[in-house]
Amino acid sequence: MTDFFINWVANIPGFAAPFALAALGLIVSEKSGVLTLGAEGYMLVGALSGVGAILLLGGYPMAALLIAAAVTSLFSLIFAVMTVTLRVNQVIASLAIIFLGQGLTSLIATRAGWLNVPIAGLGKLNVPGLSDLPVVGPILFQQDLVCYLLVPIFVGVVYVLNRTVIGLKLRAVGDGPDAADAAGVSVNLFRYGAVMAGAALVGLAGAYLSIGIAKLWVDGMSGGRGLIAIALVIFARWHPWRALAGAVLFGGIEALIPRVAAIGLQVPQYFVMMTPYLATLAVMVWASTRGRERAAFAMPQALGQPHTREERH
Amino acid sequence: MKAKFKMLLAAVATTAVISTAPARAEFKLENPPKIAMILLAQKNDGGWSQALDEARQKLEKDMGITIPVIENVPENATAIRPAVELLIQRGTNVIIGSAFGYSDTFKELAEKYPKVAFLNPAGTTNGANLESFYGRTYESQYLCGMAAAGASKTGKLGFVAANPFGLVNWTVNAYAMGARQVNPNATVTVVYTGAWNDPVKERAAAQALIEQGIDVVGQHVDTAAVQIVAQEKGVYGTGHHRDLSEFAPKATQCSSVWVWDRFLGPEIKKLSTGWTPSEYGAFIAMKDGGTDIKCCGDAVPKEVADKITAARQEIIDGKRQVYAGPLKDREGKERVAAGQVLSDGDLWKMDWFVDGVISQK
Repeated sequence: MTDFFINWVANIPGFAAPFALAALGLIVSEKSGVLTLGAEGYMLVGALSGVGAILLLGGYPMAALLIAAAVTSLFSLIFAVMTVTLRVNQVIASLAIIFLGQGLTSLIATRAGWLNVPIAGLGKLNVPGLSDLPVVGPILFQQDLVCYLLVPIFVGVVYVLNRTVIGLKLRAVGDGPDAADAAGVSVNLFRYGAVMAGAALVGLAGAYLSIGIAKLWVDGMSGGRGLIAIALVIFARWHPWRALAGAVLFGGIEALIPRVAAIGLQVPQYFVMMTPYLATLAVMVWASTRGRERAAFAMPQALGQPHTREERH
Repeated sequence: MKAKFKMLLAAVATTAVISTAPARAEFKLENPPKIAMILLAQKNDGGWSQALDEARQKLEKDMGITIPVIENVPENATAIRPAVELLIQRGTNVIIGSAFGYSDTFKELAEKYPKVAFLNPAGTTNGANLESFYGRTYESQYLCGMAAAGASKTGKLGFVAANPFGLVNWTVNAYAMGARQVNPNATVTVVYTGAWNDPVKERAAAQALIEQGIDVVGQHVDTAAVQIVAQEKGVYGTGHHRDLSEFAPKATQCSSVWVWDRFLGPEIKKLSTGWTPSEYGAFIAMKDGGTDIKCCGDAVPKEVADKITAARQEIIDGKRQVYAGPLKDREGKERVAAGQVLSDGDLWKMDWFVDGVISQK
């Protein structure tokens, strides 16, 4: 039983990381007022560019993660141009990004011969001395780099959003673009920046799926995880730490499902597969009973609204 | 291949209908066969589509003709129809499909183009010039179960499966029955991922099984992730769709493989001489092609490998039936009476497990 518990908990960070990074990326993007639902497309682009970078470079998974984030960021320029400059409906543009991501990755993977090629991927990083500790060792100190960096990344992003002028302006653009504009903040510049920075994080999540977990590329391998990340953002009310908690909850359940089956525990499997969604529902009910949100973490007021300078309302 | 799920429903439904259909007319091609294939995914998807493409290449070689292929045709009529009609306009008179989701459109097109023959694996529709076909994968998975038990030191086998319905469950049961031919105490613990093509879930399932002390993992999912995990962890695995030892040469001990060319070759020959498509589709046994095994890896002892070779021959000769009675499920209920063989209808709706299978409800 102890082994079961350790194996389960030790696997949670790996399952939680893609959800957490994708949700954080979406929060950054949406804090600027751009409704971003194309995470599924971003994740696929990130996942394929990660595998592609490893195959082209002949290794270097860390570099591949950065390349994947950069490529996804560039890919999101399409979305930024559509929504910020051309003011296309953001839901429609998001759907276009999902389908473009699916088609493009499938095409490139086939043409480049990256489909179904096993890669060495991201290895576990042991901490000398600490990794051999009983219980704590496997859980905390036998993870890969992305899992170790998960909390620092969150700390950094939250700091920028809440404690810097850049973060203040970004939130202002998402809450009241007209006022921000009047105060001399370039709405379009901040929205471009937020969309691209957010996409980099979602792309990192996708690359982690292919480089860190699956260690190969197959078409459509994000398997709906981008959609779960969107649900996490709404459920966390655009609050990064709550999104991380939600990701850990989902990761915990995803790590538990096959383990419960593998020990042959006699519970109906459809019930087990339902648990992530049941948990979401329960937490949402709990959250809704917890009074009013702090204004800073509620939904961005101008979410989904294109900004037109000096437009009369 | 969620596709196949509905094929099951249709198959069950068709067996329930009492047939009053008139004697079927014979179909004959007017011109020499000009064949084309349309594929659901890319031809190098590593699994289902690639197996069909390999059959296409063998047919090209055997018949000395070129068989064009159109890839990535999704399962909807607006994508299938233009592809097929373009081929027909160019003189193609034999269309080979690749998916359940082509069934209805193929039926429609077969009626519109009565002089063209349509063949569709994993399909559900049939007609005067249209035949669906699928393989009896339980025969090959039974043999791979034998190999798995031979390679296992603990007798604890695992199996990563997609979704719990008939055509998956019959491979799980066959795997366990095959394993028990070699080791009467073998158990097969099955984890369903709920997806056909999700390497992340497949990897998680394989890891969870190996953590429980399982040392050979079989699979009925589409990617090679399970075999790769087995190799990483220093245990063994058995594959599905194609010979997966290319992904995990040390781990993969046996693979259940599609050998569609062995079925399609003779079937296409019949098109020119006179062909009557099976009324409920062709459900192909190993002796007629469909599935076979690629066996065995180094970890399978010689005497077990010999036993597998003998069992394969018996299956081909019809001397051994995987689902022969008397057969009880693990609750003790009799599923096949002595002297009987499980019917095709019961195969498609299989929702029970034999002794030795450990699964959730």
